[in-house]
Amino acid sequence: MKIKIKILAGFLLIILMLLIAGAMSIYEFSRIGKSVKALIDDNYITLEASKSMIEALEREDSGVLLLISGKWEKGRSILNSADSSFLSAFKVAKNNITEENEEKHIKNIEESYLKFKSIWKLPIVGTDKQNSTTWYLSDVHESFLDAKFEVEALMSLNQTSMYEEASDLKNQSIRAIMPGIVAISSALIFLVIFNFFIGLILVRPIKKLIDSVKDYNSYSQNFSADISNHDELKVLENEILKLTQRLQK
Amino acid sequence: MNLRTEIVIRHIGLVLIFNAIFLFISFLISLFLVETSVIALLYSSLVALIFGLFPLIYVKPTHYLSILEGTSIVVFGWIATCLIGSLPYTLWGGEFSFINAWFESVSGFTTTGSTVINNIEALPKGLLFWRSSTHWIGGIGVVLFTILILPGSNTSRFVLLNTEMSQLAKTNFKYRAKEILRILLYVYVGLTILETILLKFAGMTLFDAINHSFATIATGGFSTKNLSISYYNSVTIEIIIIVFMILSGVHFGLTFNTIIGNKKNIFRSSIFKAYILILFIGVLLVSLKLYYSEIYPWWESVRHAAFQVVSLGTTTGFATVDTGHWPSFTQIILIYFTIQCAMIGSTSGGLKFDRIYIFFKSIKKQIRSIQHPNAVISLKIDGNSINEKTELHAMIFIILYIGIIFITTMLLSFLNVDIFTAFSSSAATIGNVGPGFGNVSSLGNYSNLPDLGKFILTLNMLLGRLEIYGIISLFFIKSWR
Repeated sequence: MKIKIKILAGFLLIILMLLIAGAMSIYEFSRIGKSVKALIDDNYITLEASKSMIEALEREDSGVLLLISGKWEKGRSILNSADSSFLSAFKVAKNNITEENEEKHIKNIEESYLKFKSIWKLPIVGTDKQNSTTWYLSDVHESFLDAKFEVEALMSLNQTSMYEEASDLKNQSIRAIMPGIVAISSALIFLVIFNFFIGLILVRPIKKLIDSVKDYNSYSQNFSADISNHDELKVLENEILKLTQRLQK
Repeated sequence: MNLRTEIVIRHIGLVLIFNAIFLFISFLISLFLVETSVIALLYSSLVALIFGLFPLIYVKPTHYLSILEGTSIVVFGWIATCLIGSLPYTLWGGEFSFINAWFESVSGFTTTGSTVINNIEALPKGLLFWRSSTHWIGGIGVVLFTILILPGSNTSRFVLLNTEMSQLAKTNFKYRAKEILRILLYVYVGLTILETILLKFAGMTLFDAINHSFATIATGGFSTKNLSISYYNSVTIEIIIIVFMILSGVHFGLTFNTIIGNKKNIFRSSIFKAYILILFIGVLLVSLKLYYSEIYPWWESVRHAAFQVVSLGTTTGFATVDTGHWPSFTQIILIYFTIQCAMIGSTSGGLKFDRIYIFFKSIKKQIRSIQHPNAVISLKIDGNSINEKTELHAMIFIILYIGIIFITTMLLSFLNVDIFTAFSSSAATIGNVGPGFGNVSSLGNYSNLPDLGKFILTLNMLLGRLEIYGIISLFFIKSWR
């Protein structure tokens, strides 16, 4: 193998190693980017929607209490506005199903909310329900707590998933950085070995040639550098040998 | 003595190419299962391949190796292998810091089986396969495996075989280097395939069966489950593993001779008989203590005692129970087996039973020479005279071995590790056993030890695997001249 090819092969291997490490890092970093986006898209949006749903439910609960105390206008106004907020937040959550079992939670929320809504949708002021704390505690509050529990379950699912994604991000960042560190360390070791081999295929034979030519000149010894490589330096050794033989003649 | 660095680097390169093949298989598993370790395994495989191929461009093969070159290839080959082996762990992340990855890699290749991982089942299957592969590659000897598979001259094979294999191990191999290597390969691969099939039929998944076979035949101990073998709670699986642990702890030459019907078989080997007797006594004593301490009913006591004694006595390190909660008497017996280890010529590391056998025979010889001062008494094993040089070698080895355990215990104690944990982990790592007692008991792990402590223990593992002298001799470069 020619010296040029040998050196080129060494450099090509270093370049290959660095290129692969670079590609790996780019791939892992792009995955981090996607994970961050997924974290926002998948979980954060649902978490915000869940918070809005809980807030709306609490307002509805207050609205029912106002109706029980006979304040029809204020009570109905709060209930209608909270219902609208709940439904819009629910729509966001329903259109953002990203986790396993999330659909089941959405269905449970829908069912429990409809049950809760069916209670306060009926007239309260001017009926036997007005001023009835027993009715509130047995029917309204129970349904309210059920609906709130289901929304909280959805929140918990997304929070857990968010935590897992965030933990995974830490690993991904290590995976993105490590190839670079490994590539740099490997390249350093590689260069040390490469330097050794350059010495082996270039410097050592050249030294042998110099010593042999010196011996020939100084002591008129037969020229022999004893180069074992089959490359340009071997050709040079043969040519010098021919030259010395011609000179001897 | 002449040291041609380029020749050493070339041979280490071949070892790395061999590792690259197994890393690539692990990568294919990860790729097939779409796991997070795909890139880590692929990159590690490529780095190993590049480092392995690189010297082949510049250095021509040689037909002759000096002993110094052979020793350098074996020692540095092991270190390079362990470094490359830690790459997929480091790149994957999770619980693997650099020191944890190095620990897991050294523990794998030296077939120690100690782990620093708390949740093994969380690891991707490709990485788990690599973890078990390190056992399998290391079990027969990294360099031996390489010269077995990859091309090389007979002369260089002979030097490497002499360097990596214990001198005592060759007493039962009356063959040429090439034949010894062939026998090793046949027995090793044959036992692995057979155990895999049996474990599969006993109820393990194929993946688990392969991984546990790798770990058993190499006397390693890495499991794919957090609860090790206790996860399966199956007497059949335990019996299969016990049988194969014993077979893997026996000199491979003896096993081969038994299979082909040669006279020098296991039934005629006094060392084998003594080894089995000691194991039997160990099982009996531990069973009795467990039963009378009312820890388990009788058969349950025998079941767990048999598994644990054989597991530690063959340096495998699998577990069916947490022996850390057993009575002190049973723990002392298990510590004895941790120090004793299995037979020379097997895949186990550490002190080896043969040396203890020679030690007791020497004591007997000394007593007889005191009784009969003028008599010429020679030490014989199965009709073969053991020369005084071998006897002395065994004695010095035992002293050195105990000395290293003592020094490592002291160093770990200095790092505030409690004395029981320090001692048992030192003995378990130099013996390539795996689990110790205290904080590193059979179902526990080494994750809580300080990083420096973990590093010291990896040196212990390498010393145990390379039979101490290999590594130490490299520190005395001048005496090679």
